[in-house]
Amino acid sequence: MRKYFALTMLMAILVGLIACAPAPTPTPVPTATIAPTATAIPTATRALTPTPAPTATLAPTATPAAQTVTDDVGRTVTLKGVPQRIVSLAPSNTEVLYALGLGARVVGVTEFCDYPPEAKEKTKIGGFSKIDLERVVGLNPDLVLATNIHNKTVVPELEKRGITVVVVEPKNVNDVLNKITFVGKLTGATENAAKVTAQMQARIDAITSKVATAKAKPRVYYEIDKTFFTAGPGSFIDDMIVKAGGSNIAADAKTAYPQLTAEAIIAKDPEVILLGAMNYGETPDVVRARPGWANITAVKTGRLIPITDENVIARPGPRIVEGLELIARALYPDLFK
Amino acid sequence: MIKTQSVGTRTHASQQKLTYPLRAHRGALLLGASGVLVVIGAVAATFGSVAIPLDTLAQMVIAQLPGAHIVATWTPTWETILFDIRLPRIVLAALVGGALATSGATYQGLLRNPLADPYLIGVSSGAGLGATIAIVFGVGAIPLLAFVGAMGATALIYALARAGGRTTPTTLILAGVALGAFLSAITSFLMFKNDSAFRTHQVIAWMMGSFALSSWQSVATMLPYLVVGWLIVYVNARVLNVLQLGDTQAQQLGVPVERVTMMLVAAASLITAAAVAVSGVIGFVGLIVPHAVRLVWGPDHRFLLPMSALLGATFLIIADTFARTLLAPSELPVGIITAFCGAPFFLYLLRQRKESLV
Repeated sequence: MRKYFALTMLMAILVGLIACAPAPTPTPVPTATIAPTATAIPTATRALTPTPAPTATLAPTATPAAQTVTDDVGRTVTLKGVPQRIVSLAPSNTEVLYALGLGARVVGVTEFCDYPPEAKEKTKIGGFSKIDLERVVGLNPDLVLATNIHNKTVVPELEKRGITVVVVEPKNVNDVLNKITFVGKLTGATENAAKVTAQMQARIDAITSKVATAKAKPRVYYEIDKTFFTAGPGSFIDDMIVKAGGSNIAADAKTAYPQLTAEAIIAKDPEVILLGAMNYGETPDVVRARPGWANITAVKTGRLIPITDENVIARPGPRIVEGLELIARALYPDLFK
Repeated sequence: MIKTQSVGTRTHASQQKLTYPLRAHRGALLLGASGVLVVIGAVAATFGSVAIPLDTLAQMVIAQLPGAHIVATWTPTWETILFDIRLPRIVLAALVGGALATSGATYQGLLRNPLADPYLIGVSSGAGLGATIAIVFGVGAIPLLAFVGAMGATALIYALARAGGRTTPTTLILAGVALGAFLSAITSFLMFKNDSAFRTHQVIAWMMGSFALSSWQSVATMLPYLVVGWLIVYVNARVLNVLQLGDTQAQQLGVPVERVTMMLVAAASLITAAAVAVSGVIGFVGLIVPHAVRLVWGPDHRFLLPMSALLGATFLIIADTFARTLLAPSELPVGIITAFCGAPFFLYLLRQRKESLV
């Protein structure tokens, strides 16, 4: 009797689970859902430093001809015309598209695409590494902008369904500008891309020329988390530290994101500590109180700089110049007053 | 067939007895193992981002003593590194190694199962869930939640495994495996839902175990739990020997099996939970060290328990020294080293002796 009861319960649970699972909706009829979403027009004003403001007007740049490009993982992709329905699979791509004034053509973004704020209104196609394929397909995009993490997983699946995918993966700060130019070319927004990259280049040049006058490069430790993960050679953050005129204490590490030993940090005696984990509770006070850290130069001189908006450093998009300025200001407070 | 086999085992066992250390030798062996532990600890302290020669190291330690007059030939940075970072790390590694080996030996003896390790009864899955909650939701300290998760899971498994007022080794193991799978499912779900690659990475790194955040504070945090757990286990060493005869026989010999089982499960879990809370899940030490001791010196728990603790401590100090120096200035999760070095060594021992385990 009890056995049957248990079996019945098990069956009931299974049935319940099946019932709760999101029904595999047949791919929604594209035309019905799309049109209304395209209203969000990027507003020009921005609260913080006005990075490449999304130029609102979309000149109907006429490049109707098909174009064939090679993307960042070496795939050859042919675009049939100027993309009108773009899905972005990464926050950085979304920021690039908006900076190019293409916000109205974006039909799908990730849950993490929170900049510019109006991007949050767009249809969500899942997380960053976990993309809901059905939704992407259902949006009927004529261009999907992916990154390297999607290359082996999502990209082939989308290709199979005849969707045009381009992988965008900037390697360093300078490369971000190249990618903006590249996306501008893909989308027929070459003029805006030229404007945006020129502004960014000017700001980068301003930084590099200023820090070039400095005599010694301060030793920098960028703390990603409290277990001493940091950014090593080959990482984006390392490139930014070097560009901002710093000397990364993890420069001799063997991997891009190494975990340093506490004693290695103390032995290398950083002059500036950038607290990437600030938002996870690793405040300057917490760092100061760590056993053995009191004698580190950065702690003694109070140069523990919280990074409150990690996205300007972590996202290889147009705001990367803000991140670069932030680091440069932290390293050379006297030069950037 | 069965008869000859049992006779064979018996003669084998009596022959074995001769090779095991006599009582008088045991003290000497334990003393020797303690000496090795101290020497290895001192040598380990010379390695690191700055190499401190052994004689300087000795001077630095002596200089700390009141009334010592030694002119410092070293920088304050060396002092910071040695006393604030390296020594607590070595001491913590020793304590955790001793803890895991003790609790592994206890579980293997209690459950009479050669595959038993400190994590068999839900400690790692419970601690893993606690740590994941702490990391993913950013609530509370990782050690605290890991400890609570570990003890909670053990208590739950013990309650679930009880049937008709009895808890047999088999039901304990099965309940442990099942609840462990259930808790791991929740952990995986939390990791999957959280799309931050960085936090997922943190959880994975924690699961592989690390002494990256060692301090005297963590030593002080875990020590009381260890001492209590160790005392309970050592007091019951003889009982563990009797339990090897089987529950029924032990009961007939006057061992309150049910009460002893509960007490030992609680003590061993307390020891493991304390270790996991400060260092994450470090595999293999708890499984291998007691077996190695048993293979070499026999199954008497009065010797097995302290020897396992000493060798576990020594082994983990060595493993952690590799973990923090192999890729200097970066470090490796120590769990990788324990499995990588421990498994082949254990297989070697296994090939040397071909008798059954436990």
